[in-house]
Amino acid sequence: MGRIKKDRLIQMAPHFCGFKPQGLQCKTGEDVCINFEEYEAINLCDYELLTQAEAAKLMKVSRPTFTRIYESVRRKIAKAFVEGSCIQFEGGNVAIAEWFKCNECKITFTLPENANKHCPFCKTQVIIENN
Amino acid sequence: MIIAIAANKNNLKALVDAHFGKCNWFCLHDTETHQSSFIENPASQNQENAGCDAAGIMLDKNICMAIAGRFGSKVVDVFRKNNIQMVIPETLQTISEIINQIK
Repeated sequence: MGRIKKDRLIQMAPHFCGFKPQGLQCKTGEDVCINFEEYEAINLCDYELLTQAEAAKLMKVSRPTFTRIYESVRRKIAKAFVEGSCIQFEGGNVAIAEWFKCNECKITFTLPENANKHCPFCKTQVIIENN
Repeated sequence: MIIAIAANKNNLKALVDAHFGKCNWFCLHDTETHQSSFIENPASQNQENAGCDAAGIMLDKNICMAIAGRFGSKVVDVFRKNNIQMVIPETLQTISEIINQIK
């Protein structure tokens, strides 16, 4: 069994589910699944035009890992374009920035500005910050 | 402090709804008086902007915290701007279980 993947930090999940090719009479090929960390990689690198090293830092992974994620999403997109497959966004090992976790209460939450860093339910200060 | 909880039915045994904008009811719980009331979500059937409309209604009720299974990206923006805390339970819980956890 492989090692458990570390959570990759993403700033925001995409607000839609994916893409469909136009003008096809019947479905061709299998759907391509792009997971959220891959979406974030292409977003940071090619939309926000960061270097891979900067993007890797933002996602809290090493530069080589980032390159691997980026390579993988480029291949998936190319596959979908050439074969005319649908693209779906789903899954992945991700944590979303600026959200916090309390393991005691099993909740994820945000903190209001200027507030003390504690869990809103049990008030413990032992909370996990995603970024 | 008033807390808004997205609910799928209008009683305390109902589960917390999986989606903030599309839930059928909101439970408003006042932590000082320990009173809970339910209001129907008029935006639940909207195709678009259900979250923003629901968030607007909740802001009018002066809530400090919102609890739901998921918040859309626009709702997160609205709540962050208005300094409202969002809470996502990781397990399925009923409204009364949530209220008991808040002290």
